[in-house]
Amino acid sequence: MNAVEVRGLSRSFDGRDILRDVSFTVGHGEVFGYLGPNGAGKTTTIRILLGLLAPGAGEVRVLGSDLAVDDDARARVGVLFENNGLSDRMSAAGNLAYYAGLYGVEDPAERIDELLTLVDLADRRNDLVGTFSTGMKRKLGIARAILHRPEVVFLDEPSSGLDPGAQRMVRDLISELSRREEMTVFLNSHHLDEVQRICSSVAILAGGRIRAFDSVARLTAASGRPTVTVALADPGDRARACAVIAGLPFVAGCETDGDALLCTLADSGATPDLIAALVGAGFRIEEVRRSSRSLEEIYLEHVGRAEGGS
Amino acid sequence: MSTFAVIARREIRLAVRNRSILISALIFAVWFPVMSALGVAAGAGEDATALAGGIAAIILPVGVFMGYIFCADAFLREKRDGTIETLLCAPVSLRRLWEGKAAGVAVPAYLMTLVSAAVTIAAVSTLSGALVVAEPLLILHLAVVVPVWIAAAAGLIGAAQLALGMRENQILGFVFIFGFIFLIIGLQGIAPGGPGLSLATEGVLAAAGIALLALARFIAGKVTKERIVRTIP
Repeated sequence: MNAVEVRGLSRSFDGRDILRDVSFTVGHGEVFGYLGPNGAGKTTTIRILLGLLAPGAGEVRVLGSDLAVDDDARARVGVLFENNGLSDRMSAAGNLAYYAGLYGVEDPAERIDELLTLVDLADRRNDLVGTFSTGMKRKLGIARAILHRPEVVFLDEPSSGLDPGAQRMVRDLISELSRREEMTVFLNSHHLDEVQRICSSVAILAGGRIRAFDSVARLTAASGRPTVTVALADPGDRARACAVIAGLPFVAGCETDGDALLCTLADSGATPDLIAALVGAGFRIEEVRRSSRSLEEIYLEHVGRAEGGS
Repeated sequence: MSTFAVIARREIRLAVRNRSILISALIFAVWFPVMSALGVAAGAGEDATALAGGIAAIILPVGVFMGYIFCADAFLREKRDGTIETLLCAPVSLRRLWEGKAAGVAVPAYLMTLVSAAVTIAAVSTLSGALVVAEPLLILHLAVVVPVWIAAAAGLIGAAQLALGMRENQILGFVFIFGFIFLIIGLQGIAPGGPGLSLATEGVLAAAGIALLALARFIAGKVTKERIVRTIP
């Protein structure tokens, strides 16, 4: 059984289709990135998964249950929306104590101490949340979302509105949580770099449909042939080296790129053969760098295709 | 501690910490009865029962209005801030959430209404020279009828604030208040004891308050999470 299952999900608002036949699954312990442009339906999907909105068609399951009707299953799920779910007029510890009461957390004082230390807010535990910065509120919001040790946690734009330092802190915190607490993380984010760094799998939603769904490694590897950038010790040898490489059976193409050669391989495992061929031909190599396409390139390609109507 | 108590306790704490709402409620609790006490004292002379009836007629609408004031913090603010969405994901039914919030609104509203009643009794007693504190029907009114109506007002207004959009809530807030006041006046008029304090009038008002509370609970049970989420601004 997967942690999250979405099958044939559709939903429209006021006659406008927001989600159309959306299907994907998230395995236990995965950090899953749900990507898409503004208005693509990412938050609608999360709301349907959490039982806040009803699906128009299709079926959704979280931990095998429908959260709209299963209170016990909801106790095993955590959520962080953009507003953090905190009261500005309560202290950091007071906010956590409230949710500890709602979720029936055992030994709440100890758990609250542990989490405030984890998010580096132990010395502000009695301060009103209204006096906190956006980054501090977000950290406390994450602590609130995982207070009851959920098996699955939904994070809706956790880095939104944060400065780069705070974004990195949130990213590190999510990575640590998935490792330390073995949670399944459903991450809804615009930060593609963040998703590529911490997610094991992604789905790209555009125009109401899933355009890509796979592991990050396979998605980036499968999108086009692998390329290798080779910098020679003597840049003047570039044209001659290119002519030698172009004739090799495992090379699909070669061109010069500034002071380096940009080789496209027909076989992803052929990098050592390429180096051996260049050294064998008498060229001195300064640097070799394998490159694959970034998630951002893949994302823009899928979103652009969806917007183009294909 | 039950989830009902957890929610109610939090709402009471937030109400106590909200200075602007507390000050508004306190001003209304003191200003309105002092102004009304002049009329009550002038109209009822030194008849303690008639004076108590005048006080009871003032205090019930004050209680309803207090419920409305504190509802804005417990229900509408939570919706405006969007934090209600996080609460709806907790393992608590929507009805339990509504019950806890309504109770958390009703307690400070009732306490503030008692402050208002104390000020009114003191003002009327001073102006008329009659002692109205010991009127048994007035004690019954303050101990039973007023809290039931405050709970009903908090419950109905809270359910409406959860279900309606922000603009509709702005418009309908005063409709609710005037609706309650007209209902109170109407019930006092048709009760066998007539306006003023009588066991029959108190019985009719208590029964109507309980019916309104039941109606509020029924309506709250019909509100859906989807309705709440789709009316978050």
